[in-house]
Amino acid sequence: MKNRQKKNFSAEHARFLKRRRNKLIVVWCLRLGLLALILGIWETVAATGLSDPFLTSSPSRICNTIASLYRDGTLFYHIGTTLWETLVGFAIAVVLGYGIALALWWSETLRRVLEPYIVVLNALPKIALGPLIIIWFGTGSKAIVFMTVLVGLIVAIMHMLSAFIATDKNKLLLLRSMGAGKLQTLAKLVVPSSLPAFISMLKVNVGMAWIGSIMGEYIVSRAGLGYLIVYGGQVFKLDLVMTATVILCILAAGMYFLVALLEKFLVKNPES
Amino acid sequence: MKKEMLRFSDVTLIYHTVRGETTAIEHLSFDVSEGEFVAIIGPSGCGKTTLLSLAAGLIKPSDGNVERGGSCGYMLQKDELFPWRTIEKNIFLPLEIKGQNDAAHRERARSLAAKYGLGDFLESYPSQLSGGMRQRAALIRTLATDPEILLLDEPFSALDYQTRLNVTEDVAGIIRSEKKTAVLITHDISEAISLADRVFVLTKRPARVAFSHEMEFDGVVNPLKRREMHQFSGWFEVLWRELNL
Repeated sequence: MKNRQKKNFSAEHARFLKRRRNKLIVVWCLRLGLLALILGIWETVAATGLSDPFLTSSPSRICNTIASLYRDGTLFYHIGTTLWETLVGFAIAVVLGYGIALALWWSETLRRVLEPYIVVLNALPKIALGPLIIIWFGTGSKAIVFMTVLVGLIVAIMHMLSAFIATDKNKLLLLRSMGAGKLQTLAKLVVPSSLPAFISMLKVNVGMAWIGSIMGEYIVSRAGLGYLIVYGGQVFKLDLVMTATVILCILAAGMYFLVALLEKFLVKNPES
Repeated sequence: MKKEMLRFSDVTLIYHTVRGETTAIEHLSFDVSEGEFVAIIGPSGCGKTTLLSLAAGLIKPSDGNVERGGSCGYMLQKDELFPWRTIEKNIFLPLEIKGQNDAAHRERARSLAAKYGLGDFLESYPSQLSGGMRQRAALIRTLATDPEILLLDEPFSALDYQTRLNVTEDVAGIIRSEKKTAVLITHDISEAISLADRVFVLTKRPARVAFSHEMEFDGVVNPLKRREMHQFSGWFEVLWRELNL
């Protein structure tokens, strides 16, 4: 509960707030300006023939490609396919990773037994498992979701486990002196104190999920943005490649933004 | 004859690490009676904190016996308030742990907080309180389950000097008026003198009780008043000498 009542600020404080707001406005203008500049140069270079738009594409050609994908009804089909695979893979990796990290926190023996396996799995480039995944899961969405889970899972486990283990020793002692059992320690201290780590794990895993799903679509797919990129590359339709990439950027940013929003909602009282 | 609240009889504790074993405490015996305030001082690294863990029953002695006449409340160097909980929720924490989170216990804890000046801060978060108030909240949290014995592990040492004197005064007053038995571990001689009914001086590791003194201040228990009395410097000298033996 915060004290949000309006106070009477001094003139100096009002000026301070105004300066801060102005600075924020400047930063945003520059951000958008930079984007406009890049798009502008890209478009001009392509339009004036300085570069071959067949190779570099251009913002207007990307817009046209999006429009034509939309007209033949495949735009949302491809976006939906990739988004679905990414979100499902992300969710499974996060939930499973959190659960496994909890189990490893709970049992030191289990942790010590599994440690070398986790280290090896973490170092292994998951794409090496591509052929296996195709054989095991076929060429559909299942294989891509599996790849996404694989890429995110180990990261989720390691991230959460190190946060669980880093729980403040003195607070653990305090709970022990109150007679708390392991389950109570977990519920009252370990889980709530690792909330910031959970959020940062989500942020990292947003990136991991996109890597997983696009990589999966590179290996096996009949639809999705990764499929469009591979297909576009094979038939030399670079407009398609660029279009899919731009859409990916927007989707990834949107997903990151959602996690940041969740952070604002969950972490109400950061230690200041 | 007062009731014994805490008794160490011939306690030995040996620490085991991969590199070897260390005898932290050897043949340590003492007892604390009901309502008594005991301070334990000793050279640094002599196993004072280990002693409190033994008293709280968090570790078992390698040899000998530790008997408690009631439940223990533990207070640490830092307040260890959970930053994501309000002061009220922090104070309710031991109630939740002990399964006493019912209206009657909560009301008792709340009135304790109000009695000692935390009433207006129940909805605040720890980060909004001063160091002194936080330590006071930590004490109320310790008292929430109404423990018979308070174990204080240098609870003032993380505070700056001025706050420290005030909080010492504060905490001592609360403990005295709640008539609790207390065992305070400290490395600060003057703190021990100003607070305790009895002071134990421990030896270097392995720790034993080398000396035990009744603090006689003509019945004065207020820490700041004691600091002004003529006996104070006398005791300081005695304890200082004994610590450095």
